Amino acid sequence: MPKERPLASRILNLAVFILLETAALLMLSNNNALQRLWIARLSHGFMAKTWGTSQAIGNYFHLKRQNDELALENERLKSVLRDYELAAKENDPSLKPVLRGDGFKYIPATIIKSGTSSQHNYLILDKGRDDGVVENSGIITSKGVIGIVDAVSKHYSFAISFLNKELNISARIDTSGAVGPLAWDGIRTDEGVLREIPLQFKYNPGDTIYTSGYSAIFPPDIPLGVAGEAKVINGATNEIRVKLFQDHSALKYVTIIENTRIREIEEIENSDNQNKGEKR
Amino acid sequence: MRNTFTLTYILMMVAQMLFTNYFHFTPLCMVTILPVMVLCIPTRINTLWAMVIAFATGLAVDLFVDGALGLNALSLVPVAFLRKSVIEMIFGSEPFEHQENISTRKYGFARVTFAILIVTTLFLAIYITADCAGTRPLWFMASKLGISLIASCLVSALLVNMLSYDDRR
Repeated sequence: MPKERPLASRILNLAVFILLETAALLMLSNNNALQRLWIARLSHGFMAKTWGTSQAIGNYFHLKRQNDELALENERLKSVLRDYELAAKENDPSLKPVLRGDGFKYIPATIIKSGTSSQHNYLILDKGRDDGVVENSGIITSKGVIGIVDAVSKHYSFAISFLNKELNISARIDTSGAVGPLAWDGIRTDEGVLREIPLQFKYNPGDTIYTSGYSAIFPPDIPLGVAGEAKVINGATNEIRVKLFQDHSALKYVTIIENTRIREIEEIENSDNQNKGEKR
Repeated sequence: MRNTFTLTYILMMVAQMLFTNYFHFTPLCMVTILPVMVLCIPTRINTLWAMVIAFATGLAVDLFVDGALGLNALSLVPVAFLRKSVIEMIFGSEPFEHQENISTRKYGFARVTFAILIVTTLFLAIYITADCAGTRPLWFMASKLGISLIASCLVSALLVNMLSYDDRR
């Protein structure tokens, strides 16, 4: 008999083994009712497990597409909700003079690149000029502020992350109404520091921190986090640690938010500055 | 030499059929020498042919004994499939390099018995599982495996030298 070759003979042996075992199982199954039931039960169990596993693998690979669809659907529903809220407010005569739409445009986006390891982190989003993104737009989620768009290309946006020591967000303590700049603490991806809170404003640990709405980039009342411990700086202001709602290390889907009235605000600021200059 | 082995092999097969048909002590005990027969198939015969021989042996026994057709074939083919690995694991590659057969004189009683124990356990585990077909409790199957293993190994150890034709030369 010929000498066995390693791989080819192993494959052949395995094939013959499977063939002979299948033949034996078929004989066993066809000639014995008890064994037929047992083999049927085993094969059904095996098929169910295999089918379930392949289905689970298929579902896993469809998750990204489903997540994208859900993010889009979520944004559409949020937009509808905002319209309803505005419509409800506009029906209120006391609010009518000040509210004519919230003035913000919302664009859902996906983070395609981000960093959390340095002190000056950035993000790249999959939406660009063609999608209506402009520079100095804010980036948010339902859990907080993520960053500000710094540069825009045709299909992508480059943004400064909140996890960047140079970025400050105007934030407000819910109970006292005190406003100060909120910045990343530079250490943890889910903690920030709210600075320059005058000592006369009282607060309690656990108070919610929101966007103040004083910047032209972010609308007011976006929840950011909860207040923690505080320390007095130079005997004049409080510096409060904030536990952020949004953990920036686990982030994928965001919303780009553009203030459609930012030019109007800038023009009014510029004209005010010119008037002051002329008076001097 | 080949004819001597073939004749001994066929005689043992017939003995197994007779034993299975006429000697029933208890449902907890079955004595089988089929695994040791497959283990002692000359080493010059490769795995593929050993599997074919094992299948034919199992089928022949199944046809002539009062049992489920295909049960011995189903249990014996894996023994032939793993025969080379078991021999190499216990005796090294020497039996295949020198085309020597397993004998207690050359390799010692303990090692040969250990090889018999492995192949008989494999055979009985498959045989008892398929034979009970999920209808017997685990304790019954485990007891049957233990008792049958002891009985079969004792008989196989006594007969192994009959199949090792080198010893009888």
